[in-house]
Amino acid sequence: MARVLVVDDAAFMRKMVSDVLLGGGHEVVGEAGDGVEAVERYLELRPEVTTLDITMPEKDGLSALREIIELDPTARVVMCSALGQESKVLESIKLGAKDFVVKPFQADRVLGAVEKALA
Amino acid sequence: MSDAPLLSLGESTAEAVERALQNVYPGAARVGAVVAGHGAEQAGEQAVHGLAVPAVCAEVSYVDGVTGGNVFLLPVDGARRLAATMGVEGAAAAGEGAELSEIELSAVGEAMNQMMSAAALATSGVLGQEVEIAPPQIRVVTTEAEAAEVLRASAAPHVLTVNFTVADVSARLIQLVPNAFVVRMDRALESQTTEYTTAPLGAALRAVPVRVWAELGRARMPAGTSLDLPTGSVVELDREVEDPVDLYVDGLHFATGRLRVAEDGSLQLEVEEVVGLGGADTAVPELAPPPPPALADEPEAAEEIPQAEPESPTETKEV
Repeated sequence: MARVLVVDDAAFMRKMVSDVLLGGGHEVVGEAGDGVEAVERYLELRPEVTTLDITMPEKDGLSALREIIELDPTARVVMCSALGQESKVLESIKLGAKDFVVKPFQADRVLGAVEKALA
Repeated sequence: MSDAPLLSLGESTAEAVERALQNVYPGAARVGAVVAGHGAEQAGEQAVHGLAVPAVCAEVSYVDGVTGGNVFLLPVDGARRLAATMGVEGAAAAGEGAELSEIELSAVGEAMNQMMSAAALATSGVLGQEVEIAPPQIRVVTTEAEAAEVLRASAAPHVLTVNFTVADVSARLIQLVPNAFVVRMDRALESQTTEYTTAPLGAALRAVPVRVWAELGRARMPAGTSLDLPTGSVVELDREVEDPVDLYVDGLHFATGRLRVAEDGSLQLEVEEVVGLGGADTAVPELAPPPPPALADEPEAAEEIPQAEPESPTETKEV
């Protein structure tokens, strides 16, 4: 079980991801709706795992990832992205993300990615 | 200008959107042909004509200096059923015509985000270069005029429209295509399809150095797949090992031959058949496919498709 921060600009996706994580026995310690908020909440909550959407207003997921990794090189981040942002996902793995999940996703794929990030 | 490149773009986008839509709503389907119109003002009005309102309007704009993007219009009753299918509790219970809740709108917005990302990927594939998109803008439009205003504001010179059936309602995808795409598309399509069968050299040009390359084979794949090719992966080409290798001279498919290895280990091509000397009086193609990257002015075996890069120093075509 892990303390997880869920970041997505769509409230619906935050709920979906949170439901999946709760169902898998994890604790959702916070949510954020854009990249700026994601970095703030990360510093405040220090979650064990962060799920991060890529296309978001204010600051996109890649910029947020870069900042989070700079602030905390041990951060475990799982990217969640729609098909078509795959090259971005590749970039995010290079930046230090642990895994990526392509939307629309299966519950066990999300849980698997979180487990992998924790390992 | 012919609408063929535009319609080709529209087709590939419509296919991608249909697949993404079926991921979130099985049974959703594209209906009829892609229709091209020109001028955001007039074409925009036609594009929204007959749409059921109120409708959810998802607009995804291109970033990267070009104006345009994709707009998906889905009447609210369909949007509610889509949200219910995606797992929003209580969505189906609300009556017809009721306003969408925030979470329903968010679910529909996410579905549209996935569709639009797929659309952008398809567009990248057609253009041969990545297209970046901004986060989707989701709103509910209550009149046809309001929907038309979204399109008009884009000032896109070309408007492509195609219908879909989603959750028993008629929805519409509208692609707002900037001129820059049409130019790039012309180049990409031309370099994919043009087979030069003539030798354009006149006497005055005989001293001009030309680029020569050999092509081992070709492959096609979605842009996303190519970006994700790991080291050590295998790309299957369209040739057998015994097949002759094509020799290109400045974009002209000039000859076929066999690869040989010289004593010093360098590759050579032994010409077996010269194919490019047909009607020598035909004009030089306006846009010759560029050679493979990092190619010196000497023969070299190219493993990549020489035409893969649509960038060309030649002048821009009028569109």
